[in-house]
Amino acid sequence: MPKAKSPLRRLNETQSAYLLLLPFLLTYGLFLIYPFFRGVWISLHDWNLLQVAFNPDAKKFVGFENYVRVMWGRNIEWSPWARPVLQALGLLGIAAAVTLNRTRRLTGATGIALGLAGVALFLIAGVYAGEEGRWFDRRFWPTVGNTVLFVALTVPGVTISALLIAAALNRETRAMGLLRTLFFLSQVLSVTVVTLIWQIMFSPRQGLIANITELSGGSPITWLTDERFAMAAIVIATIWWSLGIAMILFLAGLQDISKDLFEAGALDNCTGIRAFWYITLPNLKRTITLVIILQIILHFQVFGQSHLMTQGGPNDETQVLVRYIYQTAFRDSELGRASAMAVFLFVIMGAFSIVQFLVGREEKD
Amino acid sequence: MKHLLTGTLLACACASAATAQDITLGRFFGACEDAGNDTKASVGEACIIQSIINAADAEIEGVSIETLPTDWGNYYDQIKAAYAGGTPPDVHVMHRHRVPEFAGFGALAALTEDDLSGAGIDPADWTDSARDAVTYNGEIYGIPMDLHANLWHVNMDLMAEAGLVENGEPVLPSSPEELLEHARQLKEATGQNYLAADFAQFPIGVRLVLALMWQQGENIFSEDGTATIDNDAAQAAVETITQLFAEDLSNPQLNYADSQQSFLNGEAAVLVNGTWVVDFYTAEAAKEETGLDNYYAADFPTLFGEGATWADSHIWVIPSPVKQDAEKYSAALKVLAFINEHNVDWARTGHMAVRNSVLESDEYAALPHRTEYAGTAEIARDTPPAENYGAIQDVLNRELQAIWLTDKPVGDALADANIEVQDLLDR
Repeated sequence: MPKAKSPLRRLNETQSAYLLLLPFLLTYGLFLIYPFFRGVWISLHDWNLLQVAFNPDAKKFVGFENYVRVMWGRNIEWSPWARPVLQALGLLGIAAAVTLNRTRRLTGATGIALGLAGVALFLIAGVYAGEEGRWFDRRFWPTVGNTVLFVALTVPGVTISALLIAAALNRETRAMGLLRTLFFLSQVLSVTVVTLIWQIMFSPRQGLIANITELSGGSPITWLTDERFAMAAIVIATIWWSLGIAMILFLAGLQDISKDLFEAGALDNCTGIRAFWYITLPNLKRTITLVIILQIILHFQVFGQSHLMTQGGPNDETQVLVRYIYQTAFRDSELGRASAMAVFLFVIMGAFSIVQFLVGREEKD
Repeated sequence: MKHLLTGTLLACACASAATAQDITLGRFFGACEDAGNDTKASVGEACIIQSIINAADAEIEGVSIETLPTDWGNYYDQIKAAYAGGTPPDVHVMHRHRVPEFAGFGALAALTEDDLSGAGIDPADWTDSARDAVTYNGEIYGIPMDLHANLWHVNMDLMAEAGLVENGEPVLPSSPEELLEHARQLKEATGQNYLAADFAQFPIGVRLVLALMWQQGENIFSEDGTATIDNDAAQAAVETITQLFAEDLSNPQLNYADSQQSFLNGEAAVLVNGTWVVDFYTAEAAKEETGLDNYYAADFPTLFGEGATWADSHIWVIPSPVKQDAEKYSAALKVLAFINEHNVDWARTGHMAVRNSVLESDEYAALPHRTEYAGTAEIARDTPPAENYGAIQDVLNRELQAIWLTDKPVGDALADANIEVQDLLDR
């Protein structure tokens, strides 16, 4: 007697695939897609957090006014030499992309990405408030600038130190295993704990760093309230905190490199730093790209370090985009305006995700 | 069967009426793990308020109170998010200056005289300023708990060393010039800084400048919403302080904890901070190991025409949605009544009481250092009401920090602050 098929067996492959995907798609839709579109929708309204909570009709559709009020100003002009250094850097990027692409040292997508970044820098840095003009929101662009600076300092910091540590710890001894765990430990801490540790470290009265400076005869630096050091302080704390994941990725990448390559290199007297430069680095290229792009996306969302260690100060030197969004939404109750900034942040991170997608696809070819 | 069902339902109803009414409570002041129930023994804001709450939980019949975990720095953000999500705590603390923002949107329950007297609260016993603190458009929206203000916390040993003590009282300056003189004199005699305060993070520096502007009869904005920061009075107020930084008689880079530590270590003769630390500093001064031995809590001195110091009030409120549940509302009122009843215990922190009967009591007069700053209630001031007070204070804090931490010219900073505050008032 033939057995009755169970209902699941009656599904073909595509149907069962969808069935298995369903829980993920539902969660994804509910917690990511829906909030995103709702955020965009809120950004088109004059929406006061408290007021709308007590009276849902208190919101007003204003179109793109929030975007204008956040990102634009009166008498805004463009000139090719508004910020000569940054704009020259942009032009340099374009030139580098073109020449490297011609000489075939840079492949298609990477070249295009570099070129586009150069064009964007050249154009954006040229915008300024003209005579009698002013930005409607005087804090927004400086805040974006601080965030970019934070990313520009943190990402190379994390990448280089994680790479060096991974290379040094890539040996199969018990001590190395212990050290790997130690270096990874900081990663599991929450941002509140990390910032607390580093606030104590940086304290000019009781901090470890101040004690060392005093021992060597210097006067202690007030890291968190000195405009020259505040950004450096949160960058250092962040590098210490997010080293772990990058290190693990590099270790995985290192173990993927065939031992044969090093043996062959050793025969030709290529060891130590030379082996690292000519064998390790080229073979880690994909991992390095992945780590850099993941870190860029991650660190654009910096919030806790700035919020808890410096409160964005002194004088807004460490004010970052997510903290500004948070303050606008929850302190000032201006949800529409905050959502407009959040959409801006999404666009930036989306751009980097696309770069990652392009680079990743290219390397598979 | 039907009877059995009704019977069970009735039994359930009785049982639920007999169980305690749960009240969630939101507060700042920081955490205190083992506050206990003794409202007379705890020390410091966090432990005193928690001991009052614990006592309320134990003593009010049929009410059990759960204190929600909230963080000082982000308190209002959390509270607002809770309101927006429809789950505010049943009672919570807030500042007087936030009433226009919250009551303006109908977030707070208006407490009628009947509600208050029914719960045993007598508004007639409140001081006028305390009653004003909880009143918005003629309605009472909460119960006041204190009047708190900036004081000059003084290290008498350092002052004596510099010859700045007369009849057991510190000699405080009466003009910006005299302030500079005293500071130089003290540095000369002791090698220590004259004044410390958090000029770097928490807006104590803002409150100092505000007081010095009020002392000249000026304010940062007018009732009709015009920013008035870019003027001679503000310039004079700021320069009163920067003259100390310029001669290294005060350090602008210390934050709250560090400035307090420098005072407790005996490295600064005066600390500008609120009434909330009087009992804490009294306790610290009694300890052998702290550099501060002889502590005095003085009124903020008058450096210009009229006396003024920054002040505010902590008040307790009930969110308007709680009113829909009569039993919960009545339980919440009982909690407020208990806090009102223990006004003298809260005053042990150093804050000024808000009930006339407490202010006149011997117990209140016997609190440490109380007579030394008896003039503060008279000179207590605040900015005009504004819905976005938090953002305005932030602008001032940023621009003032720019002056003392990043050497921004005073005129530029005041002009920028004026533009930004006007933007906020116009929004």
